Amino acid sequence: MAAGGGGSCDPLAPAGVPCAFSPHSQAYFALASTDGHLRVWETANNRLHQEYVPSAHLSGTCTCLAWAPARLQAKESPQRKKRKSEAVGTSNQTDLLALGTAVGSILLYSTVKGELHSKLISGGHDNRVNCIQWHQDSGCLYSCSDDKHIVEWNVQTCKVKCKWKGDNSSVSSLCISPDGKMLLSAGRTIKLWVLETKEIYRHFTGHATPVSSLMFTTIRPPNESQPFDGITGLYFLSGAVHDRLLNVWQVRSENKEKSAVMSFTVTDEPVYIDLTLSENKEEPVKLAVVCRDGQVHLFEHILNGYCKKPLTSNCTIQIATPGKGKKSTPKPIPILAAGFCSDKMSLLLVYGSWFQPTIERVALNSREPHMCLVRDISNCWAPKVETAITKVRTPVMNSEAKVLVPGIPGHHAAIKPAPPQTEQVESKRKSGGNEVSIEERLGAMDIDTHKKGKEDLQTNSFPVLLTQGLESNDFEMLNKVLQTRNVNLIKKTVLRMPLHTIIPLLQELTKRLQGHPNSAVLMVQWLKCVLTVHASYLSTLPDLVPQLGTLYQLMESRVKTFQKLSHLHGKLILLITQVTASEKTKGATSPGQKAKLVYEEESSEEESDDEIADKDSEDNWNEDEESESEKDEDVEEEDEDAEGKDEENGEDRDTASEKELNGDSDLDPENESEEE
Amino acid sequence: MAGYKPVAIQTYPILGEKITQDTLYWNNYKTPVQIKEFGAVSKVDFSPQPPYNYAVTASSRIHIYGRYSQEPIKTFSRFKDTAYCATFRQDGRLLVAGSEDGGVQLFDISGRAPLRQFEGHTKAVHTVDFTADKYHVVSGADDYTVKLWDIPNSKEILTFKEHSDYVRCGCASKLNPDLFITGSYDHTVKMFDARTSESVLSVEHGQPVESVLLFPSGGLLVSAGGRYVKVWDMLKGGQLLVSLKNHHKTVTCLCLSSSGQRLLSGSLDRKVKVYSTTSYKVVHSFDYAASILSLALAHEDETIVVGMTNGILSVKHRKSEAKKESLPRRRRPAYRTFIKGKNYMKQRDDILINRPAKKHLELYDRDLKHFRISKALDRVLDPTCTIKTPEITVSIIKELNRRGVLANALAGRDEKEISHVLNFLIRNLSQPRFAPVLINAAEIIIDIYLPVIGQSPVVDKKFLLLQGLVEKEIDYQRELLETLGMMDMLFATMRRKEGTSVLGHTSDGFPENKKIES
Repeated sequence: MAAGGGGSCDPLAPAGVPCAFSPHSQAYFALASTDGHLRVWETANNRLHQEYVPSAHLSGTCTCLAWAPARLQAKESPQRKKRKSEAVGTSNQTDLLALGTAVGSILLYSTVKGELHSKLISGGHDNRVNCIQWHQDSGCLYSCSDDKHIVEWNVQTCKVKCKWKGDNSSVSSLCISPDGKMLLSAGRTIKLWVLETKEIYRHFTGHATPVSSLMFTTIRPPNESQPFDGITGLYFLSGAVHDRLLNVWQVRSENKEKSAVMSFTVTDEPVYIDLTLSENKEEPVKLAVVCRDGQVHLFEHILNGYCKKPLTSNCTIQIATPGKGKKSTPKPIPILAAGFCSDKMSLLLVYGSWFQPTIERVALNSREPHMCLVRDISNCWAPKVETAITKVRTPVMNSEAKVLVPGIPGHHAAIKPAPPQTEQVESKRKSGGNEVSIEERLGAMDIDTHKKGKEDLQTNSFPVLLTQGLESNDFEMLNKVLQTRNVNLIKKTVLRMPLHTIIPLLQELTKRLQGHPNSAVLMVQWLKCVLTVHASYLSTLPDLVPQLGTLYQLMESRVKTFQKLSHLHGKLILLITQVTASEKTKGATSPGQKAKLVYEEESSEEESDDEIADKDSEDNWNEDEESESEKDEDVEEEDEDAEGKDEENGEDRDTASEKELNGDSDLDPENESEEE
Repeated sequence: MAGYKPVAIQTYPILGEKITQDTLYWNNYKTPVQIKEFGAVSKVDFSPQPPYNYAVTASSRIHIYGRYSQEPIKTFSRFKDTAYCATFRQDGRLLVAGSEDGGVQLFDISGRAPLRQFEGHTKAVHTVDFTADKYHVVSGADDYTVKLWDIPNSKEILTFKEHSDYVRCGCASKLNPDLFITGSYDHTVKMFDARTSESVLSVEHGQPVESVLLFPSGGLLVSAGGRYVKVWDMLKGGQLLVSLKNHHKTVTCLCLSSSGQRLLSGSLDRKVKVYSTTSYKVVHSFDYAASILSLALAHEDETIVVGMTNGILSVKHRKSEAKKESLPRRRRPAYRTFIKGKNYMKQRDDILINRPAKKHLELYDRDLKHFRISKALDRVLDPTCTIKTPEITVSIIKELNRRGVLANALAGRDEKEISHVLNFLIRNLSQPRFAPVLINAAEIIIDIYLPVIGQSPVVDKKFLLLQGLVEKEIDYQRELLETLGMMDMLFATMRRKEGTSVLGHTSDGFPENKKIES
């Protein structure tokens, strides 16, 4: 098992979080996240098994971890009677986890007890522990550190057995040979030590950057004709920080060969490596490399000597979200770790976020050059609250201590949890199918992170963003903040703005106020908020009038047209209502009604025509054209006029009395028909 | 005959960002070429000699790229550890680089193995440079020291131990072979003279200094650190000229344009800002995808190369000047035809008759002159005119309104033409500069076309749009009115404060008087 990426020390590129599968059955997956929590997950049902927070989790975060081999524990349990500890459960259950910390201490955590088993401190490292390896048989623990030393521990007594200088620079990785007699260590160069005497047996040139992972890939030499001395002829693998090549080295009898026998190339820096050991010559080594970009590359190769060209992967696995709905660009989900199951034919994949990883078993199909699994993890970000967590330990903490929580975690905490579902495997990449290519998916990643960032923006980030935007005059940043519609959000943001940014904000708002009313309305909200919230500050400004003068004038000049505009609006409303009304009547006239209207019209048509003609002629004499059109538009007025004229024209009043009663209703449709 | 007076087109100030020479100049680059490096790109340096290759330092390698090549034409990978600050010599034939293990290595461009290795620093060397005489190398390291090395003898000449923290940047004067400056994380920038054993000048930047730059004249010094870029006058003994704070994260690199008129700064906030070196205002800014660590400009600003933390090198080339084929122009009359007779002096009895100059009139003016008002309006309602120069359209409408013939000009249009007019109204009604004229026009249109409303769904839709717009504008103006009220209140409180202070005095005075009285 590899604790991948623990050795990285580049602050610009934080390495993968230390994590490991428990040996042999892979029943558990231990993960030490950056916030100092150690979490143990059950791989079978993807449940949180245990959670433990070391008391010193903030000062000394976990840098590497390693499971004790099961055999050792089985052996160890009888020895336990030396100490008066309670009986350990079933002997083949994996128990001990060794954690290396950034301050140099090593913690042994027992998953059975759910608490700290012991601490290895005295005489150990005084700097960051980079890698821990358990010896398969002897019950020893080997650790290496930034303080250039390698330490051999006796776990039973918690004492240092031996400590020696391993390199001129920090030692970043360790590996014990399959027969348990040799130890590989790597800083920049790779060294092979004889454990008995602590002498250097071989040197390997190594990588340009610190080696982050070391692993033996074979347990038997490929050439069985020669007698096997336990180490000669074995291959091992090394990966380094910032290096996209994994080198394979062979331990040779003569000490001449200095360069790697072959190399595997991957798309990004490897963060986690797992492999199946090949037992014999014919069986290929299977290698699963998790890269920083979240892909898994699978290699299958029979190691038989020198190969000049770097090998590319046989198979690449990626996971992406299903693209559905409007935001249809699928988002890649990073794979965090991958481990071969004991049958060597399936792979355990850990993916998602460090805080809520999803563990899934995937069958391997070596013929597929590319696998893309589609998984929906959008709503399972939050840690599940389940009773199944056997033990959750909270750190003993001083009540006065102030805890600084790293920023990003907890962001998703509010979202409702749901079990991971959608097991459909969309692995077949048919040519010509409408599946998105990897390039597009990767391209979508950038955009998506942007989008996500937007969604995740919280109130507390708005003032910062706005301040930064104002200072650097960044258009996009300002847009992001200023285009919010949420009044509450605006208020909160304005409240938290530092005082010296108020005037620049007002100036920015001035600029944005002179646009289309659609966008400008939002700016008014901001302006109002600024004025209400910071009224007292603004009123203390000595040069308030010159500062806000332009803004005031701008607003004033714009408001000048208010009256005229309202007038126009009134006209428009009337017009629009008429149009809609006429449309309605057009659609809804039933034949029966129509017949009735026609009948009525016949009687009154002549009159009304005359009347209107009369009226028009009169109006032409009396008033100008505009008033005429106004009359046209004002139906009610006209009705009244018409009625008035009815009387004036002096028609038969006898019949008119009846007609007048219906008159109002009659004239309405009539007018409309005229207009049409 | 009284001449026709052309319509005065009202000019308005153009709103929005001004397009300056600088924006044109700095936007005139092609889409960037992106090259993936092995690690964060910590330094990019252009060779000062043609063919202007550039050296890129990333992780433990130095790649040399040709001007347009996307593959490195040469690689120096003989570093045991991270390499830093690969810099060309003035003649472009030697390259010097520092390393994490404290070594300084000198390469021949044509060779592969280092020519010289200067051992002496105990910690990472982050900055190296050639002095102006080409035979010395200055290096600054994390062991707080600055050393001067002799190339021919491969020996250390001088060591300065004045910094009290990591030395992370430096540069040598281009004029004086003995002068060089270094910037350190102890917040200072120091100028050293090889002829003396201590610094001759020290300025306090206030933040860990990430990058320094000397103007070619040597008179001005630019330092970057924290969020600040500061310009110092060296001739006045290190007086602070300007302090620029335009980034919101640490500024990591500085660079001068080839003319020396513009200063560029790159920052972790993923932006490159361009400053004018006369006004020290930001005249342009570029956005990049990741935090910027290094930045370089090629000869004549032909190429901008930016190195980022994610190991991506972005290379932008200037667009080649589009050569316009000059059309064979019609031969114009020779110059002398225009000056013919101009210097003729009038004799005593002659009467000089000037030929009336033919006034050039715009097409719409010609129409207006002949009272073809509808046609004039049609002309300015043409989409090319309404979009490009709405102020002409508005001016014509205003003129027609003044003549009292706007209603006539607008009348008698078919569906398509009305929708043209309405489109124009919808587009421009909300602009305060056009609003008074256009509101009037809108009312007239409504009055004219009221009888035929409802006949054309297209026009109806346009009216609906117009109504929506007007409604929004009214809402907006109502909001503005409210805000104006607030501001009035604010201004009023200010005035009152002056007043109240006076009142306060008197009211203070009164009780005293009363006391005295009582």
